[in-house]
Amino acid sequence: MTTSRAETAMNYLLLVVVCAFALGPIVVVLVTSLQPDLGGGGIAWGNYAEAWSQGSFARYLRTSALVSATVLVVALTASVLAGYAFGTMTFRGSTVVFSLVLVGIMVPTEAIVVPLFYDLRTLGLTNTLWAVAFPQMAQSIAFGSYWMRAYFRTAPRSLMEAARLDGASERRVLWSILVPVGRPAIVTMTVLVFMWTWNEFLIPLVMSPNGAYRTAPLALALFQGQHVQATSLLAAAAVLVALPVVVVYLFLQRHFIRGMLEGAVRE
Amino acid sequence: MTPRWRPWLYLVPAIVVYGAFLLYPIGRSVQFSLYEWDGLGASEFVGLANYLGVLTDAGLRAAFGHALVLIAFFALLPLALGLAVAAVLNRARVRGLGLFRTVVFVPQVLAMVVVAVAWRAIYAPDGPLNTALTAVGLDSLTRAWLGDYTWTLPAVGIVGTWVQTGLVTVLMLAGMARVPREQYEAARLDGAGPVREFVALTLPSVRGEIAVALTLTIVAALKTFDLVYVMTAGGPGNSTTVPAYEVFQRAFRTGQVGSAAAVAITLTVLIFGLNLVINRLVEPREDR
Amino acid sequence: MTTRRSLAAGAALATAAALLAACAPGSGSDGGETTPVEASEVRTDLASLGEVTLTVWDQEVRGGQDEQMQRLNDAFEEAYPNITIERNSQSFDDLETTLRGALTGNEAPDVVQANNSRGTMGAFVSAGLLLNLDRYAEAYGWKERFSDDVLAVSRYSEDGVTFGEGSLYGLPQVGEIVGVFYSRSALEQVASEDELLSGDFDTFTDILARAADAGLTPIQLGNIEGWPAGHVFGPIQAQHVPADQVRALAMGNAGASWLSEENVAAATELADWSTSGYFNDGANGTDYDAAWSDFASGDGVFTIGGSWLAADLQDAMGADVGFYVPASADGTLATTGGTGLPFAVTAQSPNADAAAGYIDFITSDEAMEVLADTGNMPVNQTAELAPADGVNADVFAAFGAVTTDGHLLPYLDWATPTMGDTLGATLQDLIAGQATPQEAMQQLEDDYSAFTSGS
Repeated sequence: MTTSRAETAMNYLLLVVVCAFALGPIVVVLVTSLQPDLGGGGIAWGNYAEAWSQGSFARYLRTSALVSATVLVVALTASVLAGYAFGTMTFRGSTVVFSLVLVGIMVPTEAIVVPLFYDLRTLGLTNTLWAVAFPQMAQSIAFGSYWMRAYFRTAPRSLMEAARLDGASERRVLWSILVPVGRPAIVTMTVLVFMWTWNEFLIPLVMSPNGAYRTAPLALALFQGQHVQATSLLAAAAVLVALPVVVVYLFLQRHFIRGMLEGAVRE
Repeated sequence: MTPRWRPWLYLVPAIVVYGAFLLYPIGRSVQFSLYEWDGLGASEFVGLANYLGVLTDAGLRAAFGHALVLIAFFALLPLALGLAVAAVLNRARVRGLGLFRTVVFVPQVLAMVVVAVAWRAIYAPDGPLNTALTAVGLDSLTRAWLGDYTWTLPAVGIVGTWVQTGLVTVLMLAGMARVPREQYEAARLDGAGPVREFVALTLPSVRGEIAVALTLTIVAALKTFDLVYVMTAGGPGNSTTVPAYEVFQRAFRTGQVGSAAAVAITLTVLIFGLNLVINRLVEPREDR
Repeated sequence: MTTRRSLAAGAALATAAALLAACAPGSGSDGGETTPVEASEVRTDLASLGEVTLTVWDQEVRGGQDEQMQRLNDAFEEAYPNITIERNSQSFDDLETTLRGALTGNEAPDVVQANNSRGTMGAFVSAGLLLNLDRYAEAYGWKERFSDDVLAVSRYSEDGVTFGEGSLYGLPQVGEIVGVFYSRSALEQVASEDELLSGDFDTFTDILARAADAGLTPIQLGNIEGWPAGHVFGPIQAQHVPADQVRALAMGNAGASWLSEENVAAATELADWSTSGYFNDGANGTDYDAAWSDFASGDGVFTIGGSWLAADLQDAMGADVGFYVPASADGTLATTGGTGLPFAVTAQSPNADAAAGYIDFITSDEAMEVLADTGNMPVNQTAELAPADGVNADVFAAFGAVTTDGHLLPYLDWATPTMGDTLGATLQDLIAGQATPQEAMQQLEDDYSAFTSGS
C-alpha cells in the first residue's frame, strides 16, 4: 500500500502525542512522589517508606490481597462449573437462568449495596471478610459464567467425545481435559477479576464501616483526608496502591486487553 | 445422556452466591425504594413517592443532569478521538503499534481512586496544570479547577476522557484491522480521499465496535462514584453531584435510605435502557 | 439479542424477589426500647461489678488525642482490674457510616463517641439507641462538674425532637473553639498586634482591608470540602445575629428563621469578604489542609479555624502564631465552638454501670490534667490548666472567656441530618457569587424549615 513519507511521519507523531496524553498524568505522579520536602534536594526515595508506614499500607495491601484471593478462588471455581454446564449441556431452563446471569454484568454496584449493607448488618455480618468479598464474587460470577460459557462452547467437541468413550466421568472431562486446554480463557478471567476486586472502592467503603477490612484504595482515599500536607507522600501512596495491578498488567497485558474488549462484545 | 439434575449440580455454587448477593439485593432495593426509612428506626410505606422525588427534587435532577454531561466526556469525546486516531493510524503501516496499545490502555487498569488522587493534585491551585499554564504565558487561564462552578464538572469529565480514550482507540484499531487491505486499495484507485474513505469504508466496518465502546463508556459515566467522592465530594456547591454519589450520601450519611434505593433503581433502569437503545441504533439488522 | 432478553428476565426477577422479601426495611432490626434506669439500680462501685469487658469506640486517633486516651484507659484498667477495655478507634471521616452501622448491629459497642448533631446523636436518641444518662449524672454529680452550656449540647428530649434541653446522653472530654489565628510577622506589615487585640470585630475587618490593599492574603481558606467556610461564617453570624436565634437555628429547634435581616446581613458580609479579595484565590478549590499549611508557611495574615489546629500550627510556626476571638462593639465575645465528640452509652449495652463509670473516669478532674498534659484543651478547668505560653495559652484563655462571659455558639451543621451538605454547598455558592445572600439564606431556610415542620 502506498503511503507518503509525510503521512508516515505524521502517524509517528500522532503515536507519540497520544502516548504522552496517556502517560502525562502518570509521569506527574511519579515525579511528585520522588520530590523531596521543602528545601531538600535530590530524589527522595524515602517518601515511599514514609507513606508506607504513615498510611499503614502494609496492613491494607494485605487486606486487599486477602479479599482478592478469596474472591478469585470462589468466583473462578463457580464460574468454571457454571460455564461448563451452560456451554456443554442442554437442559430446560438453561436460557432463562443464563439471561439472569447476563443481567448481573450490567447492574451497577449502587443498586445492590444499599440493601446488602442493611441486611447484612441485621445479620451481624458487616465488618467481616464475607461482607466485603461475597458481593464482589457475585459480580465476578456474572461475568465469569458468561466468559467461561463462551470458551466451553468453542472447546473441541472431539476431545470431549474421545474422553467420554474412554469412560471418563464428566468431572474428569472438565478438570483434566477442558480446564488445562482452556488456560488462556481462565488466565484472562483471573486477571480481570483480580483487577476489579483490587480496584473496587464502594463495596469495601460501605461493607466494612469500622475499617476492619479496609482495602488499599480505600486507605488511599482516607490517607488524602488525614491532613497529609506533603503531596509527595500522597503521590507515593498512590503509586503503591496502583503497583500490583500495573505489574500484573505489564506481564499479562494481552489478557487484560482481550478480556476487556471481547468480554464486552455481545455474542 | 446426562441426568436431568446434573447441570444444576454444576450451577449450584454460582446460583447460590449470585442469587443471594446480586439478584436478591436488587429485589430488596426495589422494595426499599417504596419506603421512607432513616436506616435506624421504623420504616413507612410511601409507594412511589421516592420515584416522584427523583423527578421533582432539584438536587437529584441536577445529579442526573451532571451524569449526562459526563457521558459527553466519558463516551462521545473518547469515541471521536479514538475513531480519528485509529483511522489515521490505520492508513499507514507504522511500527510500534503493540507498544502503543500497551501504553494507551494503562489508564484503564489503574484504580479510580489512584486516578482521582493524581488528577486532584494536577488540578490543585498551585498544581502542575496551573504551573504549566503560567510557564507558557497563559496566566489568565489559571484557576482553582476544582472550585470553579463552570469548570469543575468539565475538569472531572476530562479525567473520564483520559481514562476511556485508550480503550476506545484500541477497540477501533482492532475493528479497522479486519477490513481487507484490498478494499482500501480499490477505494484509492477510485480516487477516494481520506474523508470519503473513512465515511464509506472505515466507519461502517466498526459499527459493532462503536456499539461496544459506547456501551462500556456510557455505563462507566453513569456509574461514576469514586472520582467524585475523592475529587470534589459533589462541590463546589452541588455542581458535580452524580446519581451514584447521591445514592451513597442518602443511604449512608443523611438517613434517606428509601430515596437512595429509588435513585439506584432509576440509575439501573437508565443503564439497561441506554444499552438497549445503543444496540438498536448501531446494529439494526442484527436484531435476531 | 441478549440485552432485551435479560431486561425482561431482570424485571420479572426483581418483582419476584421484591415479593419474596417479606419484611419491610427496618422492621427486622428494631432499635430496642430504652429501659429507664431507676436511681436505685445505678451502681457506681465499679470494683464490685465482676468481670466486665467494655467495648469502646472512639475517634481519638491524632497524636495527642490518642495519647490521652491510652493513658486514661491504662489508668482505668489499673484502678478497676475487673474491667477490661476493648478499644476500637478510627478517624472522624467514617463516623456517620460507622456508627449508624454499629449501633444497630448485633454486637453494639458499650461506649461510643457520637457527634452532638441531629444527624447522629439526635437520630440515635429518637431511635432509642442511646441510654439516658440522667440517673448517672445525679449519682456522679456531673451537673456540678460541667457547665450548663456544655451539657446542653448533649441533651435531647427522649423522642429526639428537642435538642439542647431534656435528658443527658453523653459527656465530652475536650472543648473546641473557633477563632482567628494570626501570623505575627505578617500582621506587623499592616497593623500592630496591640491594635488587633484591643480592637473589636470592626477593627479586624479594617485590618483585613488593609492587608488586601497591601497585596497580602488576608485570610487563608481551604474550602473544597465545604464545611470549612462554616467556621468562617459562624463568627461573622455571631456578630450580627442574637445568640438565642443562632442556637435555635444550629440545633434545628423551631422558632427562628434564616431569612431574618440579621442572617442576611451576615451572609452579605461573607459575600463581601469574598468580593473584596479577603480570601486566597480559588478558596473553593483549595484543600483545607493545604490552606492552613500555606498559612503556616507564611502566606496569609489570618486563618479562621478551630482550636484543633493550634498544635499543628504551633509546630510549624512556633512563636509566630497567635489566636484570639474578636469582640463585638459592646465587648461581648461570641463565636462558634463546642465540645469534642461526647462519649455516650448504647441502649443495648449489658454493662451500663461500667460504661457510665468509665465515662465518669475519663471526664474527671484528674483526666482533665492528663488531657492538658497531652496538648488537648480540657472542657473543664480550662483556665487553670492553660499552658504558660504558646498559641495554646491564647486558645485556652479564649475558651475560658467565651464559656464564662460570652456565647459559645453551636456548629451550624448540627441542625438537621442534611444541614452539613446544605450548609457546605450554600456557603460555596455564596463565596463564589453563585447565590445572592438572600438566595443563600433561602437554601438554608428550606432545609431548616423542612426539618422543623416535619418533626
